[in-house]
Amino acid sequence: MAEAENTFRIPIGPIHPALKEPIRLSFQVEGERIVGVEIRTGFAHRGIEYMGMRRNLIQVLYLAERICGICSISHPIALTQAVEQAAGIEVPPRAQYIRVIISELERIHSHLLWAGVAAHELGFDTLLHLTWKVREKVLDILEELTGNRINYAIPIYGGVRRDIAPDQHPKVQDTIRYYRGLLDELLDTFLRDPSVEARTRGVGVLEPEEADALCAVGPTARASGLAKDVRQDRPYLAYGELGVKAITPRDWGLEPRGDVYDKIVVRLLEVGQSLDLIERALLEMPDGEITSFPKIPALLAHLKKAHGEGLGWHEAPRGEVIHYVRLEAGVEEPVVWKVKAPTYSNLMSWEPMFEGQEIADIPIIAASIDPCICCMDRVHMVRDGSEATMHKEELLRLSREKTRRITDHGSRITGLGGVR
Amino acid sequence: MSGVHLVWQAAAVMVGSGVVGLVYKGLDRKLAARMQARVGPPLRQPFLDLGKLLMKETVVPRDAVGWLFSAMPFLAAVASFTALLYLPWGPFPPILRGYGDAVLVLYLLAVPALAMALGGFASGSPLATVGGQREIVMLMSYEFPLAVALVGVVWRLRALEVGPAFSLATISANPLWTAVGPLGVFGLAILLGCLLVVTPAELSKIPFDIPEAETEIAGGLMVEYSGTYLALFYLADAVKTVAMAALVVTLFIPYGIAAPLGVKGVGGQVLDVAFFLVKVFVVMFAAVTTVRVAMARFKVDQVVRGFWLQITAAAVAGLVLLVLDKAVMG
Amino acid sequence: MILKILFSQLFTRPATNRFPAKYMPKSVTGFLGKIQSGKTKLVPPVPVPPRFRGRIAYDRDKCIGCQLCIRVCPAKVIQFRPEVKKIRMHVTRCTFCAQCVDACPVDALAVSDQFLLADPDRSAESLTVE
Repeated sequence: MAEAENTFRIPIGPIHPALKEPIRLSFQVEGERIVGVEIRTGFAHRGIEYMGMRRNLIQVLYLAERICGICSISHPIALTQAVEQAAGIEVPPRAQYIRVIISELERIHSHLLWAGVAAHELGFDTLLHLTWKVREKVLDILEELTGNRINYAIPIYGGVRRDIAPDQHPKVQDTIRYYRGLLDELLDTFLRDPSVEARTRGVGVLEPEEADALCAVGPTARASGLAKDVRQDRPYLAYGELGVKAITPRDWGLEPRGDVYDKIVVRLLEVGQSLDLIERALLEMPDGEITSFPKIPALLAHLKKAHGEGLGWHEAPRGEVIHYVRLEAGVEEPVVWKVKAPTYSNLMSWEPMFEGQEIADIPIIAASIDPCICCMDRVHMVRDGSEATMHKEELLRLSREKTRRITDHGSRITGLGGVR
Repeated sequence: MSGVHLVWQAAAVMVGSGVVGLVYKGLDRKLAARMQARVGPPLRQPFLDLGKLLMKETVVPRDAVGWLFSAMPFLAAVASFTALLYLPWGPFPPILRGYGDAVLVLYLLAVPALAMALGGFASGSPLATVGGQREIVMLMSYEFPLAVALVGVVWRLRALEVGPAFSLATISANPLWTAVGPLGVFGLAILLGCLLVVTPAELSKIPFDIPEAETEIAGGLMVEYSGTYLALFYLADAVKTVAMAALVVTLFIPYGIAAPLGVKGVGGQVLDVAFFLVKVFVVMFAAVTTVRVAMARFKVDQVVRGFWLQITAAAVAGLVLLVLDKAVMG
Repeated sequence: MILKILFSQLFTRPATNRFPAKYMPKSVTGFLGKIQSGKTKLVPPVPVPPRFRGRIAYDRDKCIGCQLCIRVCPAKVIQFRPEVKKIRMHVTRCTFCAQCVDACPVDALAVSDQFLLADPDRSAESLTVE
């Protein structure tokens, strides 16, 4: 980046109050205006995939849960689907509904958490405290249903580990009623507050064409008007029966502009959508088994025999998450485990969003994609103590080499039914 | 008045205002916390903070312009305290009356902001530089409506011919609300509103805390300050809050409570001082505490536009109403 | 709108649970002593639901030493004691997923409601289950 005469450089991160996780954004600014940004990642790389390939699949499940503390059911759901596909395990319908209920509860908790963080980035701490106060209720119900407030440890290959007992239904319905009553108030305090609107309208705009070209996912893409939702486009679990429609600002009666305001709109409306989904799932949930492998030794034995590949996906609160696993017969550990977190897809949209904005907009734009850096940091290159950057050409060459290596190895890509 | 007497009084005001400033800061934090459904820190927390800061090491960054960096905290604290010497404390006229008037108070209130900006520039940090630029821009935008509000009151007072109009002693002794007609009351109300809007800007509080903007520039101006220097800025901020609220009280609500209640002598004076402190608190609660919990931080260009267009227009309208009132009342 | 919320919150009890005390006591040991002698009361923590996953409870007599829990434990909490064919759990490492409870064939393991487990010593008695 050329250093112009009257520009100077503002470093944001790796440690900075605007960032909840380490990433480095180096801004080239002209007065208050941003003319360029450089993003450097890799500060939160933990080598989780490598660790996973050295553990048996049940242990990997809990490692996957810890990829992200907020979407702590999204990763296990994607992983269990991948493994179930690879090992040919059926999931009982009741278990599918329970997974949907827990993951929609998680979406509520994640979106409320995000709304609070966004308000804090705007300097509006009252809204932070308000949303986090009401978020307690969904954490309480998660604790009631799963035993844990975070890292619920609910899905397991072939089903779920805990049933929703009849006496818990009224508590869940209570929670739904609580949030229904609250949602209007929240929409009002966020979307009709003049100072919030002044700070978010026209800020961090992501045009639909850009969102499409940069493969943005989740609320980031939906705020730009792309009706893109894995639950709608490629239904899995019970989502096909429940029927999900991607939410865009049009549902709030606004033409999507792709700015931060629209992202607030989409996330808050999705809380309402999740409430509907939970309510319906609770009513329509069939009776039956909650897992096809009630005994752990049987599950372990089945997984050890399994051979094949699997791809699992899920619409996490932040967007689409994909897990890929390859199992080999006689090996307890997954031979390959690859994770693609939503932030990985959304990070690229930062650049057009930052362009031409002001320094004051940095925190809210950075927060608007709801970044989860530690989910995203899957690769970090350090060679001989110096950092190396991989460019597209080299990555392409490496991936071609790897494809050749894998295909020579003799395995066919199997069991990926509907995946193009 | 003898020199010794003056020094004694000044020392009393300084210590008193320091204590009041810190107590009010504690109240502000406690009440803000309660409005956000939090427990909040204990009332004495600002004293603990100050004590702790004074114990900490004071670091001067290598890239800083040392003398400027070190001098600015003192300048800010001294200016804030001095402003209070020119303001009346309830029934007591300003200690330094005769040495300066309302315009001087305006200057003294601008000095801490300037000192912070200079100190920020001198620290050599890019974040502080951004903060410094923002502080200067803010200063330029809110000073005009502030001055208009002050001039409006003074000009109307001058027309009443009750003494030196710019003297704060005169201003506080002659409440304007009852002396003007209905147009004038309306104009005064507008000016009071403008002044209340300017107050959080003058004090760099949300929604106008852009020079410090914690989530954007990590504390901005203050980012490199630590230990004793930070303690001085902290104290200056507490005292300036009282000074600014006291200025609002003096200009617009200079009423005493002792005379209407018929309490005379020392008891009356104590009552009046207490009432003055209550008024200062009410102004602070309305213009600082409530506002800072009820709003998001603005951007600097929004602030400049707001102050130069809307607030200035409102202030000038208030002034025009006062002029018309004079014409009507004769 | 927001003002209405603010002022109603100003006059209601804060949402914060003041566990274990409203403010940091001057001396923690003094505070604990006062509680023991009954001079002050501890603000109780938020109650936990019935199937809360707290510290794992271990029934030694039921344990058959099959080591299945060791195989499934994601955090390597459990150590096998070959001399007695029983297990020892290091609670500091525990992630409270309770997978070992599900895996145990003889129900020797169970979840408890204990979660106040902080201790400066990681090998303290309260943090070792055997």
